[in-house]
Amino acid sequence: MSAVTFDEVTKAFGETVAVENMSLEVIDGEFMVLLGPSGCGKSTALRMIAGLEEVTSGMLSIGNQVVNDIPPRERDIAMVFQSYALYPHMTVRKNIESPLVANKRTRLAPAEREQRVHEAAEILGLTEYMDRKPGELSGGQRQRVALARAIVRRPQVFLMDEPLSNLDAKLRTQTRLELVELHRRLGTTFVYVTHDQVEAMTMADRIAIISDGRVQQVGRPQEVYDRPENLFVAQFIGSPPMNTISGTLTTGSSGRTVQTAVGSFAVSDGTGAPDGTPVVAAVRPEHMAVATTDGAGLSGTVENIEMLGHERHLLARVDDRVMVARLGPEDPSPAIHDRVALTVDPDRAHLFDAATTRRLDDSAVAAPGNAR
Amino acid sequence: MTTTLGGAPDRAPKRTSQKVREGLLGWLFLLPALAVFVAFFYYPLYLLVDMSLHRENRFGIGDPPYVGPSQIVDTLTGSDFIEGLTNSGLYMVYTVPLGLVLGVLLAVAANRRLRGIRVFQTIFSSTVATSVAVASVIFFTLVNPEVGYFKDVSWLSLDNPDWALFSVSLSSVWQNLGLTFIIVLAALQAIPAEMEEASALDGYGPLRHFWQITVPLISPALLFLAVVLVVHALQAYAQIELLTNGGPGTATETLLYKIADPQGIRSIGTKASMSLGLFVLTAVVAAAQYGLLSKRVHYGD
Repeated sequence: MSAVTFDEVTKAFGETVAVENMSLEVIDGEFMVLLGPSGCGKSTALRMIAGLEEVTSGMLSIGNQVVNDIPPRERDIAMVFQSYALYPHMTVRKNIESPLVANKRTRLAPAEREQRVHEAAEILGLTEYMDRKPGELSGGQRQRVALARAIVRRPQVFLMDEPLSNLDAKLRTQTRLELVELHRRLGTTFVYVTHDQVEAMTMADRIAIISDGRVQQVGRPQEVYDRPENLFVAQFIGSPPMNTISGTLTTGSSGRTVQTAVGSFAVSDGTGAPDGTPVVAAVRPEHMAVATTDGAGLSGTVENIEMLGHERHLLARVDDRVMVARLGPEDPSPAIHDRVALTVDPDRAHLFDAATTRRLDDSAVAAPGNAR
Repeated sequence: MTTTLGGAPDRAPKRTSQKVREGLLGWLFLLPALAVFVAFFYYPLYLLVDMSLHRENRFGIGDPPYVGPSQIVDTLTGSDFIEGLTNSGLYMVYTVPLGLVLGVLLAVAANRRLRGIRVFQTIFSSTVATSVAVASVIFFTLVNPEVGYFKDVSWLSLDNPDWALFSVSLSSVWQNLGLTFIIVLAALQAIPAEMEEASALDGYGPLRHFWQITVPLISPALLFLAVVLVVHALQAYAQIELLTNGGPGTATETLLYKIADPQGIRSIGTKASMSLGLFVLTAVVAAAQYGLLSKRVHYGD
């Protein structure tokens, strides 16, 4: 077990900077998910930990050791690839055993090897398939072989690069659980790369959200959901994504409001920003509602209502954008093309500086759920 | 064995006619390939067998008399055929392993991301675009007994009966190198990058990685090349004619050279019988290669 520390690490491929000045501390034993859209640099960051990419500048350490110049095989890490990268000509047994025999210097005694392979196979339920080749296994089984090959060497850090993306939806849900279970059981540091926020939210101890080669926010899943640090995180986390609308901060008779082209809404005070500050307000669909009284909220036209069984999503065209409000089972359903006014829960509107896209601090969400 | 349902009798004839039509269509699609095979393979093979069963008429008048399989047996057990067989076998032994090893070494060396590596890849594969005649002429300028660069190197000498065959075979190795290089390089490039990375993380050093991972993964290409190179070796003719004319003496007369018989000293019946021998030999070698090697070849998922 070991911590992994990025200290102002930069990775450039020629002119292109994939990871820029990244500082991130993965705590010993935690399940850290690097989350971001494709091409954001998350995989490059992971590959630097593995030693498959060289660090251009900065310092990368595993445990107390700076590993910038240490070759992959001496880093004591194991990696699960998106394609699993199993050796097609070897049996499951040989594949799992591979990290234990590859290096002559560190090769274990046959008995111990046998025992470890058996243990790994047992944990992942592979004992019946030991003499098959990867070509004869299903996608889920191959994925387990890849995991077994990773755990058999008892590394300090596990690295996983989108390991679930080749599985079908049902198997993915199941494997998610098993990975969390595996992490609890082993207690080893996991660094897991994905673009799927559901994977991140359900498995991570902490999430690092990455965009354009930079860490946008690091925090527990609930934290990044409740209190996004900037507009990117606000829009990236959550499904359907947050509604955003730009406007100006003013102080009216009823306290602070955001004045927009299509109406205004109140927000809880708390931002130190002066009146007239251009802001972008972001509101989750569940914190918007259809107004029951006239004259309040943002006016728009209903475009569609999506039925999901346990809830409905109301899609309304407001100005030049479509906003989504989540309707509970009790709420009335407006008809399509109706004009509606959408209200915003003042305590749950997030305000971001329009220029920097950073959170205007101590703004709206001093909500109870966040005060833990 | 038919189950009759209501209305089935009406349908049955339709089904039959459809079957016939599909069958005819199938033959129609086969026809072009079949025509080519019959015209250029089966008919010549028939002629070959026919020729080896008849003796050439001395003055070319009248039908050649039937002599039966005895002509084949006499030819295939004669010293002339045995010598050709030995030389062809040696030619194979000289060219196939050396060609494979050199090709793999070059391909491994050229399979990396370096600036300008394409230039080298083009140079290494250029012999594919070279004709046997050109390759032989170039080789001849190198080993020419009077003015060649290597005229004093005994094991390259075309005049030395002990080394002439080896020397000629080297020109074949060089000629075939381009093909081997291209195919091995393609096979190497088909190995997924993640496989290389996984092996690096597992801790394989370069040599063990090569033997444990790379060779099994490119084994289908290697088997293919082994077969092709053997066939090339058994079919080598032009380089022998251009470089040595089968000499010194008969030291570089391979089986095919004896069959082609540029001096015209053997009868048609003898040459036809030798051809049959070569045909069987090629078939046996190819079958043996598939049988022995295919167990060790991995063909992916």
